[in-house]
Amino acid sequence: MNVTPNPPDRIARAQRVLGWILLALSPVYAWAVVRAPTDSIQGTMQKILYVHPPLAYGAYLGFVVTAVAGGLFLWRGRERDDQLAIAGAEVGTVFCTLMLITGPIWARGAWGPGNWWVWDARLTLTLLLWFVYLAYLLLRSFTEGDERTARFASIYGVLCVVLIPLNYWIIDLVGGRAQHPKNIEGGSLGEGMGFPFLMGNLTLFFAFAYLLVLRWRVGVLRAESELRAWEGDAAR
Amino acid sequence: MRVAWTLLWKDLATEWRSRDRLVAMIVFSMLVIVVFQFGWPPMKPAEMERFAPGVLWVTYVFAAVIGLGRTFAMELENDAMTALALAPGTRGWIFLGKAGATWLLISLVQAMTAFVFALFFRVDLASGIAGSALVAGLANVSICSVGTLLSAMSVRSRFRDVLLPVLLIPTLIPVLAAAVRGSTATFAGQAAPFDALQPLIVIGGIYSILCFLLFDFVLDE
Repeated sequence: MNVTPNPPDRIARAQRVLGWILLALSPVYAWAVVRAPTDSIQGTMQKILYVHPPLAYGAYLGFVVTAVAGGLFLWRGRERDDQLAIAGAEVGTVFCTLMLITGPIWARGAWGPGNWWVWDARLTLTLLLWFVYLAYLLLRSFTEGDERTARFASIYGVLCVVLIPLNYWIIDLVGGRAQHPKNIEGGSLGEGMGFPFLMGNLTLFFAFAYLLVLRWRVGVLRAESELRAWEGDAAR
Repeated sequence: MRVAWTLLWKDLATEWRSRDRLVAMIVFSMLVIVVFQFGWPPMKPAEMERFAPGVLWVTYVFAAVIGLGRTFAMELENDAMTALALAPGTRGWIFLGKAGATWLLISLVQAMTAFVFALFFRVDLASGIAGSALVAGLANVSICSVGTLLSAMSVRSRFRDVLLPVLLIPTLIPVLAAAVRGSTATFAGQAAPFDALQPLIVIGGIYSILCFLLFDFVLDE
């Protein structure tokens, strides 16, 4: 594995910039959610809309980052790419888990008591994505040797990113029940809900990016300190 | 290409002499079917037919996991994995030989399991046998391609017996859904439906090509 010896200055700079953006966006987001109109049918609970779909985008984005970084690692063999893949998987798992928690809370309220879970196409797909994330992380922790772990995880990441469109197609084909409303795609959010929804997406996107870069930086720094310790041992 | 044929022949010959994997998979499949009998309320054969595709495919996948787990485990002895990595040419051919041998073994086990299932539960599986064989054959392409790739990885990991199904099963969900859909029609004596065959062909194609290419990175230098 090629370890680039320069300190990760650019990653640190990106992390700082993202942190400031996130800090600036968060109060506006909170204010927008508080001020957003209350839904006439679902009441306050509907405000979970400003958290739940943005979490879903983060979960998918995390997987794409993992697969692309894994592919780059297989191609160039740079440790930094593998560290980005880990960051994508870990942050993606957090987003996916939070989405799976917020979804049923909303579902029970919107679809009636007892409806914590339905085998809706998107729910099923997300659950499968979560399992793939867990399998990816387990593969990393069960494989021995840094280089081999990175290689195997990259292979699995690349293989599984194909699974997302395939699953979507097959679940549609076998007739998964469509419970999710289509009003976000149709652009028919209620009046006054557009701005907080946009803020939710922006803020959580930057939260995703910040955490991703933070985790990436930790990984790169750790790899470098290990390399330095190893070089120190070798010099002695 | 010759590497693929040599490996396929080697794997089948080894299996023929020891019959380890074959016996293990068949005994396991039968046990799963017996377990299912105790897992559901008493039913008439006609009702049973509705459950047959699901029960059989769950059994097939579990049996495949057992078989696939051994695919590379035997290559660990005397460090034959290194010898495989040193074989001339593209490593994809090693993958193809291994996956081909596993495809034959798994198909054989599935045929025997279906026969035993039909006999035990008095379910008529004979009327659409050609369609069922087609569905199973196509689904096995995906199972064997992904399974062979992941088996080569998991065999080099700790807790390999646990890791292989955890890695493999999520990737097989679309295959399983299409196969159950196809088998539901063929078990009822109809032709295999296009909307089950199409995904099986597409997924099988994508998985095979992808695994052929990715296998190059699996074996250690």
